[in-house]
Amino acid sequence: MPNARVTRRRFLADTGLGALAAAGALAVSRRAEAAAQAKVGAAAPAFAAPATTGTNQSLGDLRGKVVVLEWTNHDCPYVRKHYESGNMQALQREATGQGVVWLSIISSAPGTQGYVTPPQADELTSSRKAAPTAVLLDPKGTVGKLYGATNTPHMYVIDKAGVLAYAGAIDDRPTSRKSDVQGANNYVRAALQSVAAGEPVKTPVTRAYGCTVKYA
Amino acid sequence: MVDAMTTSHALAHRPVRLVALGALAIVLAMAAARAEASAPLVRVDLLSEQAGLTAGGEVWIGIRQRIAPGWHTYWTNPGDSGEPMTMEWTLPPGFTAGPLVWPHPERIPVGPAMSHGYTGEVVLLTRLTTPPDLVPGRPVAIGGRAGWLVCEKICIPEEARVELMLPVLAGRAPASPDAPLIAQARRAVPVPSPWPATVSVAPARVVLTLAARELSAGAIADVWFYPGQWGLIEHAAPQEARVDARGLTLVMARGPLPAAAQAPVEGVLVVKERIEGGTVSQAFVIRGDAERGTGDPSVLSLAAAIGLALLGGLLLNLMPCVLPVLSVKVLALLGHADTSAAALRRHGLAHTAGVLTCFVALAAALLALRAGGMGVGWGFQLQSPLVVTLLAYLFFALGLSLSGVLSVGGRLAGVGHALVARPGYAGSFFTGALVAVAATPCTAPFMGVATGFALTQPAPSALAVFLALGLGLALPYLVLSLAPAWRRWLPRPGPWMERLKQVLAFPLYATVAWLVWVVSEQAGPRATAAVLAGLVLIAFAAWMRGISQAAQGRRRILAAAAAAAGLALALAVGGFTLGAPTPTPATAAADGIPWEPWSPRRVAAARAEGKPVFVNFTAAWCITCLVNERVALRSPAVARAFAGKDVVYLKADWTNRSPEIAAALEGFGRSGVPLYVLYPPRAEATILTPVLTEGTILEAIEKL
Repeated sequence: MPNARVTRRRFLADTGLGALAAAGALAVSRRAEAAAQAKVGAAAPAFAAPATTGTNQSLGDLRGKVVVLEWTNHDCPYVRKHYESGNMQALQREATGQGVVWLSIISSAPGTQGYVTPPQADELTSSRKAAPTAVLLDPKGTVGKLYGATNTPHMYVIDKAGVLAYAGAIDDRPTSRKSDVQGANNYVRAALQSVAAGEPVKTPVTRAYGCTVKYA
Repeated sequence: MVDAMTTSHALAHRPVRLVALGALAIVLAMAAARAEASAPLVRVDLLSEQAGLTAGGEVWIGIRQRIAPGWHTYWTNPGDSGEPMTMEWTLPPGFTAGPLVWPHPERIPVGPAMSHGYTGEVVLLTRLTTPPDLVPGRPVAIGGRAGWLVCEKICIPEEARVELMLPVLAGRAPASPDAPLIAQARRAVPVPSPWPATVSVAPARVVLTLAARELSAGAIADVWFYPGQWGLIEHAAPQEARVDARGLTLVMARGPLPAAAQAPVEGVLVVKERIEGGTVSQAFVIRGDAERGTGDPSVLSLAAAIGLALLGGLLLNLMPCVLPVLSVKVLALLGHADTSAAALRRHGLAHTAGVLTCFVALAAALLALRAGGMGVGWGFQLQSPLVVTLLAYLFFALGLSLSGVLSVGGRLAGVGHALVARPGYAGSFFTGALVAVAATPCTAPFMGVATGFALTQPAPSALAVFLALGLGLALPYLVLSLAPAWRRWLPRPGPWMERLKQVLAFPLYATVAWLVWVVSEQAGPRATAAVLAGLVLIAFAAWMRGISQAAQGRRRILAAAAAAAGLALALAVGGFTLGAPTPTPATAAADGIPWEPWSPRRVAAARAEGKPVFVNFTAAWCITCLVNERVALRSPAVARAFAGKDVVYLKADWTNRSPEIAAALEGFGRSGVPLYVLYPPRAEATILTPVLTEGTILEAIEKL
């Protein structure tokens, strides 16, 4: 298998420096070799971040489960498109109903659009009737930059083996019009179905669309 | 801070009734009829290049965005986030609007991401086609719904209805006051690259090469490639630009979308060039299939590369530059039927050692050059006209020796004769080296893939691939020398061997012809003449050497001296190819307007006849000059205007830095090109802007 060999060698070479830097930044990371820049088809980088409940959520504890990461910013028009149309909440219910762990992550820095305190985040969840497993707060942008999250919404699907199976947009209609939710091809739903069936994801990488993540 | 959906409806439906009132009225009406959407962050309105519409015609319409300070809108590939403007036209029956034409973007870094877009003001263009049955008189409303995203730190989607009332005119429509804005926008639209571009995609990097050999690194202020689609490159990663003898090379980090390399690579290369008085951006359309195979280790393992190299080396034996040399050596083996098997084996091993040593030396030189930052690949040695010249001499001498000009007693002679014909193992070693050198101009199938792979690998792997290539090249001879039983299958040595040798000279002459052509491409006609003269001298030297070998005593020495002198002279003449000036590319010849070479006397003569004179100070290495010639000086309208006013068009080509042109530039207070000077018949010369549009030239000619 020449392909696999090259991929692995390149993976190690490409990620060597990144791994060192990220390992330093992520004091909580238990598995330094996995803490590399996220790449579809490779192990999803380990991270830990505080949930609104105060407990630390670590990716390592979720091994064996399918995990969805959703970068969000409630004031971004593209996020509002999917929440005001009920699209995001429906997908959250559908996924968590099948045992998927759904983590909404807020990487907005304090003072920027989308930054919220834990109570405000919980209030948004209840007022919008959202159904994530947990909402994680990442005001320093550590997890966001580790995953290369550039947009809100920016979606990631991690399979049961801890391999990043999908990264990119929520669907194929890169607009902020609510009317475009109808009839769109939802990449996250398709990825979750493939992962559940143990099949390779058909469209594993897409261009995320939305607002920029408001990093510090 | 809250993003808001902002919709503005600012419709001005003022009736326009002015058709017969002349140009001034038209101008006023345009101003009044322009409907402007008063969105808070981007004001969008429509502009027309012409002051009115005509039946069955075309008119360029601009969609102007005036963007609030600090905010930006997006290009077609918005980068890591964002959304390009959309336009839904509502047009009267029979009208059609073409696709949006986008001026080149600028890069807007946003945190760890990169956006491609516009700040300040931008005009998108579209070509509007009018129906043939349009009746002059009633004004027509051109409009639609524009939607766009405008971002600073936060992003706001905005939309607006925009409309433009245009009168319908009979005959030709005059230019509108907005025409300069349209012309300016058109100047920022990417044009086809004047130089061929290639894109190669490896797993970690994407390399764009523009074969613009005339460029000088000092004049280029900035280079950036904007891919047409997301995912090919990492938008936010630095792009490493290099200008060297091969042109412009841009190394970019590979993006996250694997499929992006499968589709043809499309995008826009923006080069900022320093010219007198500031920098000018030039945008070029880059389009082409990504080169795959070469330098793409994802499809190759080291073992596969070594295998391909071995196969490539084997096939090299059949190439016209190697086959004759090798055949002669094999014939020599045949001639020494009495040699013991052990001695034969040692000859074979010595030959192999010669090939491998030469290949390792070449590979080491190649790797050292690359380590030093030179972007060289296999065949780098052929980029020097001097090396090509020396190879042409070598092949010519070998050919002459096969033709019998200097062969004595059936021995291989000529340049390298002393080494190749040496009976000992050293002779075999040097034949091996000669075969390796002879193989360099030839490329066998599979070789490109293997060497391309080798150059992306660490030095030990690269050396292994090159050794495999050398081994492949040496293998046939090695096998023949290890298993001498094959000799029984060949006819007995005899006159046929001489005939065969003479036949084999012709592939060598063909190689010489090809190498001379390479020199002509690299260094121009004068260098070609030098090489051809050198070949004559080589022929003379070979002939003298032949005489010397047959003669005795003083004659022998004299002939040998003459041969040596001929060879020395050939080398001296060949050295001329290095100093020869690079030929000026034929960019100028393809111009639409007939021109004459510039000289102060020609200017004076034309002015004495009372004719207007236009002087284009240009150079092959000046990007702005070339783009000006393409977008402005080749347009049919400009050609008509030149012909109409009987303008004498002179071109001063500063590619090779003539002092006369330098003095003329200085006379205008300039030290560089582009410079455009228009001499009206009886007035002072005027200097045009360095960035030409069709409009600026037409306007200047109009004033004559």
